Amino acid sequence: MLLAPCIIYFLALGIFPLIYNVYLSLQWIEQTAGPGAQRFVGLENYFKLFRDVRFWATLKNTFVFVISTVGLEFVLGLGLALILNREMKGGKIFRVLLVIPSMLTPVAVGYTFRMILNPTWGPMNHFLSFVGIPPVHWLDSPALSLFSIILIDIWEWTPFMFLFLLAGLQGLPKDSYEAAIIDGASAWQVFRYITLPLLYPVIIVACLLRAIDAFKIFDTIYVTTAGGPGISSESVTMYAQAVAMRYMSLGYGSTIATMLFIMVVTVGVIFINRVRKQREVA
Amino acid sequence: MITSRKFLDIFAWIVLIVALFAFLFPIWWTITTSFKNPRDITTWPPPYIPFLDFEPTLSAWKSIFGGPGQIGTGGHSGSLIFRTVTNSLIIGVSSTALAITIGSLAAYSLARFKFKRWKNDDIAFWILSNKFFPPVAMVLPFFVIFKTLNMLDTLQAVILVHTAMNLPFVVWMMREFFLELPREVEESAMIDGCSVFGVLRRVVLPLAAPSLATVAVFCFIFSWNELLFALFLTFSKAQTLPMLIAGETHTGSPLWWLISAVSTVAIIPPILLTTLVQKYIIKGLTWGAVKG
Repeated sequence: MLLAPCIIYFLALGIFPLIYNVYLSLQWIEQTAGPGAQRFVGLENYFKLFRDVRFWATLKNTFVFVISTVGLEFVLGLGLALILNREMKGGKIFRVLLVIPSMLTPVAVGYTFRMILNPTWGPMNHFLSFVGIPPVHWLDSPALSLFSIILIDIWEWTPFMFLFLLAGLQGLPKDSYEAAIIDGASAWQVFRYITLPLLYPVIIVACLLRAIDAFKIFDTIYVTTAGGPGISSESVTMYAQAVAMRYMSLGYGSTIATMLFIMVVTVGVIFINRVRKQREVA
Repeated sequence: MITSRKFLDIFAWIVLIVALFAFLFPIWWTITTSFKNPRDITTWPPPYIPFLDFEPTLSAWKSIFGGPGQIGTGGHSGSLIFRTVTNSLIIGVSSTALAITIGSLAAYSLARFKFKRWKNDDIAFWILSNKFFPPVAMVLPFFVIFKTLNMLDTLQAVILVHTAMNLPFVVWMMREFFLELPREVEESAMIDGCSVFGVLRRVVLPLAAPSLATVAVFCFIFSWNELLFALFLTFSKAQTLPMLIAGETHTGSPLWWLISAVSTVAIIPPILLTTLVQKYIIKGLTWGAVKG
């Protein structure tokens, strides 16, 4: 009975919109053609999607973004966690300070980085000039725009990865380490054969949470490059938003969104089943 | 051995300081830029330290709050920032309250009662899976639904949607909490003649208050930061703070000092709230997967 409001809420504002989204994706709806311009077109939008070069480009961008941000944030976060996993005076306060980027309003962050990465007066190029690197066009060159977005995301979310893995490291049992050190294992062996396997469940959850969020990337791109130059940094969400709002075709926008949904859920289900299996074992 | 340990300690401190600089510098930059004169923004080398590198001024702040700043042209009118901040606050607080109420009731029942048809775990995972839906797959239907209901550009629409966005988090976190809570206290209250609601109100609620507060803080921050839904569902009256910032960057040449001031307004609540719940921050961020 207590559960009912929650279930109803999800049916109304979770499941229903999704089904409705699939329904919309089977329609031809052009807002510009006046109100009520709508007809059923079956799978036509999907056929269009498979031939849509721009969709595949944005899909590629999204995957490049997800894989590189999750991978790099994981490596950086783990490195930081391993180095800083020790008693340090005042370390706790610094850890709290470190997490701040992950909590900030993404549009404000995106805007901040537009200033920092500005090619003519941004501090980033100023810092690089100390080591003799000439000014870089971070956000306004097609070759670097996606990379710059990745950089911003790394800034935002590496602290999260770091704290997550650090907490995981501190929860590991100490005795297996002592045994290994007595047996004369090298630091690398300890890391490879004890730390990593023990940390594995935490790693999976951390990467899953990041990947799910990364697939949705929108805010940062919207305020920094708006997908440009051209479509060099456009994500699937950006494209769907542009189709629906700028080009006013709701039907086709829904089709793009449905495809993204199918992909995220597939990835999510694979991961979740792994996590569930591990929880059942534990 | 001792020297190598000492070396590692120093190394750790250096890494920590470099990391702190890298992760906090952009925040410093935003805040200081909001105190710069327009001419101090595009100079080279970039000025970093107020009073030393540049003469700080309040003009950006005056003009976003509607005062007669010297750079008034194209700036925000005072009522605009007040309105968007008020909107964001109302949306954040109401959607958080709704999500906490509905979500913790569901969480409590999932943790305490057995349901016949489905396993409790399955229901919990189903609720969790709602979080994985990409928002863009929901936002177009929301747009059409609220348009039909004539609710576009209303606070209520955004509140409803943000509640749905935060519910999985609340249910998941509070379920973990209730599962850890010893049953005995509730059972003895039941024996003493308390109804289910009596137990909830007199026993469970006081015990759950700290966790509820933490979860609420996270919900508020998520709602405060959200852009995509607000972008589709509102355009003027119910505009939120992130939209104000996002809208500003698309104008021809952005008024950096003004947006910096508005951005500073936007990032203050998350920073304050983060330090407020610092003890539970890891637990909250990791959906309870790791207890920090």
